[in-house]
Amino acid sequence: MKTGYLALEARRALRTPRALIFTIVFPVVLFLVYKGLYGDQKIAGTNVTYTVYLMCSMAAFGSFMAAMNAGARTAVERSVGWQRQLRLTPLTSRGYLLSKAAVGMIVALPPVVLVSLVGAFSGAHLGAAGWVQVVVGVWVATLPFAVLGLLIGQLATAETMQVYTSGAMLLFSLLGGLWIPVTIFPNWLADIAKVLPSYWLADIGQSAALGNHDIGRAVEVLAIWTVVLGFAVVRRYQRDSARV
Amino acid sequence: MLGDMNDMTAPGTARHSAPAAERAAVSAGAAISMTGLRKHYGEVRAVDGLDLVIAPGEVVALLGPNGAGKSTTVDMLLGLTKPDNGDVRIFGQPSRDAVSNGTVGAMLQEGSLLDDATVGETVAMIASLHRKPMSVVEALRRAGVEDLASRRCTKLSGGQKQRVRFAVALVCDPDLLVLDEPTAAMDVSSRREFWRSMTEFTASGRTVLFATHYLDEAEEFADRVVLMRAGRIVADGSVAEVRSAVSGRTLRAVVPGATEADMLRLPGVSTAQLRSDRVELSCADSDAAVRALLTAYPQAHDIEIKAVGLEEAFLALTADAEEVAR
Repeated sequence: MKTGYLALEARRALRTPRALIFTIVFPVVLFLVYKGLYGDQKIAGTNVTYTVYLMCSMAAFGSFMAAMNAGARTAVERSVGWQRQLRLTPLTSRGYLLSKAAVGMIVALPPVVLVSLVGAFSGAHLGAAGWVQVVVGVWVATLPFAVLGLLIGQLATAETMQVYTSGAMLLFSLLGGLWIPVTIFPNWLADIAKVLPSYWLADIGQSAALGNHDIGRAVEVLAIWTVVLGFAVVRRYQRDSARV
Repeated sequence: MLGDMNDMTAPGTARHSAPAAERAAVSAGAAISMTGLRKHYGEVRAVDGLDLVIAPGEVVALLGPNGAGKSTTVDMLLGLTKPDNGDVRIFGQPSRDAVSNGTVGAMLQEGSLLDDATVGETVAMIASLHRKPMSVVEALRRAGVEDLASRRCTKLSGGQKQRVRFAVALVCDPDLLVLDEPTAAMDVSSRREFWRSMTEFTASGRTVLFATHYLDEAEEFADRVVLMRAGRIVADGSVAEVRSAVSGRTLRAVVPGATEADMLRLPGVSTAQLRSDRVELSCADSDAAVRALLTAYPQAHDIEIKAVGLEEAFLALTADAEEVAR
């Protein structure tokens, strides 16, 4: 992978104002609102307040949106013919997809860090290992969403891309329990939530908050999503280049 | 007209019917060598058996009406489209290799720039991917856009955009430059500026293949013109040869009492059409025709002489060439 190219791509992604507002300001504000409403309540059967739980939900929410949007924006590059121009360079298909996934991961970091910082200043208490699990764990676990974004980018056009990402955002946020805790879902809905990668993304942070560092199940589910989506992206990109 | 056509197709025909051994020898050192290239999209034969060899240092214009297969040919040359049949070599290498080692740079037809990047970043991004690029500043200078380096790509005029895309094509420092309708979105002065930059590039002995609609661009900048129609090469020759073939004029006049036979007898007239008193003459030499017309028919009036339009010339040229080929 070419570092010069990656640096330019990352800089381009990081200075998109609309994306930054959506993926950083939005989760921080949502966190503060929810915290004001439920922050001091204890999660049933534990001694943990909802503040830290909500912080993990919102860190997950911001990071997955950032990663997904970055990938989906490749639809625009495809529509204006920029991908064709890139095909006239030594950049391989693999290099292109890996660079774009890396860009997704880079833009996913600021939301996690910022929500965690705001959380720390609003009374979320965690040990050092807990903080590492929340920040690093949630960030790394964003990978399937970076790949999903790329898939959307390869399937959608510049016009329909927004519809796909909004749909995915609603599905994953709402059903994955990022906006409403899964603990209050009816059983059948909770079962659906547990298939979604967003549930497990938040779970990685939340299990740290609950003092439970066993994230094996989460890693499993997220890895499966990454592999399946990654396979789909590569297939799609190869087919697209054969057709163009 | 037909005589001109024979003269014009002669070099092309000779090139195509050269013995295989000779052709292989030419191809070995060729900048571009395409043999038996074919691409069909369902029923549409976009490119239908194309052979073309271009020597290093040649500046070649690829002409043809819309849908002639120019862009498909360019795409196959660059390896963006896989041919159904046939072989493409750029300086003896497959397209993909020539692309990845920076031997070929290209400006594609439809294709834009990134809205959220500056001109400098756009060129730098492409440069960062190539192995031996020229400096970004140098590419911008050669394309004549060095003063736009920090401008967002959204804030460029059509002509400026094309020149930035030219810088993108140049930055890999290619031996072969392929341009698909480079001046389509430009006004007259931008086109002039663009070709000034191009001439600087070709002066260093590099090979250029450009597809265009504009015959004047081909006349002014190409050493050789390849004319395509319906996916095939129908004429291939020097600019002078093509020019002589398309330099006919149309003469229109009201000539009371004229007959078709009389009109065809006028010097310089190749075809004649009559509708009551109105005549329309295709002339190889309209000056001779109008003199003779006025001598023979002093009462002729409303005389109008027009150069044959490019599109008409193309149609005439390509239709004739097909007949000659048969």
